[in-house]
Amino acid sequence: MRVHVVEDDAGVSDSLALILRNIGHTVISHRDAESLFKGSVPEAPDAVIVDLSLPGIPGAQLVRWLLNLAAPPRVVVITGQSQGFIDHQLRGLVPDGVMRKPLDVDAIARVLPPH
Amino acid sequence: MKDFAPPADALPPPTVSEARLLSVLDTAADGIIVIDEHARILIFNKACERMFGVAASEAVGQNVKLVMPTEYARQHDTYVGSYIRTGVKKIIGIGREVQGRHADGTVFPLELSVGEAATPEGRQFIGILRDLRPRKESEQRLADLQSELVHLARVSAIDEMGAAIAHELNQPLTALMLYLQAIRRAHSRGIDIVTVVGDILDKAANEAERAGHIIQRMRQFVEKRDPERHVRPLDPLIDEAIDLTLLGQRHRIRIDRKTGENLPPVSVDPVQIQQIVVNLVRNAIEAASGMPDPAIEIRTRASDGSVRLEVQDNGPGIAPEALPKLFEAFASSKRRGMGLGLAISRTIAQNHGGDLLVDPGGNGRGACFSLVLPAASMPGEVG
Repeated sequence: MRVHVVEDDAGVSDSLALILRNIGHTVISHRDAESLFKGSVPEAPDAVIVDLSLPGIPGAQLVRWLLNLAAPPRVVVITGQSQGFIDHQLRGLVPDGVMRKPLDVDAIARVLPPH
Repeated sequence: MKDFAPPADALPPPTVSEARLLSVLDTAADGIIVIDEHARILIFNKACERMFGVAASEAVGQNVKLVMPTEYARQHDTYVGSYIRTGVKKIIGIGREVQGRHADGTVFPLELSVGEAATPEGRQFIGILRDLRPRKESEQRLADLQSELVHLARVSAIDEMGAAIAHELNQPLTALMLYLQAIRRAHSRGIDIVTVVGDILDKAANEAERAGHIIQRMRQFVEKRDPERHVRPLDPLIDEAIDLTLLGQRHRIRIDRKTGENLPPVSVDPVQIQQIVVNLVRNAIEAASGMPDPAIEIRTRASDGSVRLEVQDNGPGIAPEALPKLFEAFASSKRRGMGLGLAISRTIAQNHGGDLLVDPGGNGRGACFSLVLPAASMPGEVG
């Protein structure tokens, strides 16, 4: 599966890419929503991992845009913020998964299983 | 130790008017001692008995050195002698802080004023004494309370930033965990990772270090320590404080930092000054956050004998009705926090011989807070 990772933290982004490749996915990393928009539009069966707290265009806005696509990819939200913040940001949005940091490989493999 | 000579000749018993005088002196709250030209005690009132733990009956006739610590006592005869010889007044009519000695050996601060009277029996000196310990204690208590409060405000600031800091710590922990799990996973599947494992472990160690730095920075800020003074350049302190404020700060905000040239150093308690900066920058970010293009400017410059830090936001400015209470404790208009920030910040600035000023802005202009600190006179240790 092709997985886009939109995460501005270099350490998180790099380690996430490593583990996703390890699971068997192809990884494309972006440091913000703007740089994802510059490439080709992700669509099913791709997956997009979005950090909720992005510089520039907020993560929640990117999630909304992705879910409204004609052929939406799988969307997985990652965040280190509080549950209150998550609920507030995601009002009305139902992504395919929400994972709170620190992340672990089993949780990732469950949401984005290797094929 | 009592190396005082006994009175040369026994003093005559008091007359009726003298007895009346003594009873009046005994009602005085201050200690009163009357001595003659030879520094012999003539009158030692009740307050003195309590103050020095010596009975009047025992004190009268002895040299007044009885109630002085040894090093003072040694010089006292010289003082009295020199005054009688030269007439140059060192203490008479002036009053000053001296040390007294209780019979149990305790040395304590006294305020002493001395008057002089010419009597048929010769010159006499009247000393009025006030124990300064209660005043010193309350001054100390006030200083302790203030430093307690300053510390409390720092803890409160970190408390308010708690969620953001937890988030900031989560980043390196996430990365660390994923690096380790990647190795674990490859290992358990018998995948050969020899060529990359060193590289991954290095990255993992970097992330652990990053988490450590965040904790260190926080700890420096909240740890309780005695106030100190160091001669430092102001700008690096400010930059560190900005970093701390921006930990996990996810408001999308532009921060424009301008440093003045050839700024003289300042003599400061670094953590307390950073406390002011954290407070001002957080306030500025909050004030600007509702604007379409939130931005703050943080600049330093020298201005006649002082160094100025200005924190300017592009928010709506401060409402005129909020202005009078702006620097008052517990008068915050914010939902969070204790409303101590600006009150404490101004207190810290003033304790440094400086001040914290505000230009409230309004009518399309944001507020601007200025921290003014006197330039340090000596170019001292740096770093």
